[in-house]
Amino acid sequence: MKLRLSPQTLMVLDAFLVQAEEWKYGYDLSRVTGLKSGTLYPILMRMAERKLLETEWEAGEPGKPPRHMYRFTPDGLRFARANAVGRSGAALEQVALGMVEG
Amino acid sequence: MGAPRTLATALLRYAIRVAPEASGEWAAAMLRELDFVEGDWAALIWALGSTTVILRDAASACRERLKGKTKEEVGMNNTGKKALGVGLGLFSALALVGCAFATLRISGLLFPGLEHSPWAYWLAVMIIPEAIFIIATIALWRKRGPVAAGILATGLMMALHVAVHFSMR
Repeated sequence: MKLRLSPQTLMVLDAFLVQAEEWKYGYDLSRVTGLKSGTLYPILMRMAERKLLETEWEAGEPGKPPRHMYRFTPDGLRFARANAVGRSGAALEQVALGMVEG
Repeated sequence: MGAPRTLATALLRYAIRVAPEASGEWAAAMLRELDFVEGDWAALIWALGSTTVILRDAASACRERLKGKTKEEVGMNNTGKKALGVGLGLFSALALVGCAFATLRISGLLFPGLEHSPWAYWLAVMIIPEAIFIIATIALWRKRGPVAAGILATGLMMALHVAVHFSMR
């Protein structure tokens, strides 16, 4: 499961981890992460391609076109959680090293 | 709706038209989100970013097509090439048989009586071409399989023709 974990991708993964079981919209993710559409959507597309994300069209009000929604797949959730744990472990290690050196 | 938002919508609608089939869903999703973007200028920035993504994807798909990398295309090319090879083999073999007939006719004109000799006939039209077909098939089988198959098919047709000819007599 190869996904380049750029800082922007990590921001998107973190945004999805908040209430992970809920569907999320593209614009909301953009506001939460501060990423522009040109950065956010390629990340979402890659995640969906690698089956980390499931997508669905939300049937909205009648006469209005549906809205695209995104949510972690079980694999995606595991992947994001493993990365979050890895990062927090590394951060703790850095803090500990800082304390020892300090 | 302000001018920047109108421009944003027009831009994304254009992008959807040129979007490759695979990313059409994503392009539609980006257009739909435009309705929720607050502020006209923010909408234009959203549309510019989205259009860039779609156009980049379209360019990438176009490059792939030009390279002929999709599996279906490779399959189609291979089938076409094989058919062409078999056709070339058939055509070459039939041309050889035609040349053998022509040679026999010219020899008959130069050496009267030769044309009526059954041995000369069988040698020129049957035995020599069949020997050439067998040698060519063996030589080409590995490197030019379809061409060899075409030649072999012609050889077999000729052999069948001879067998039918003898059985009818």
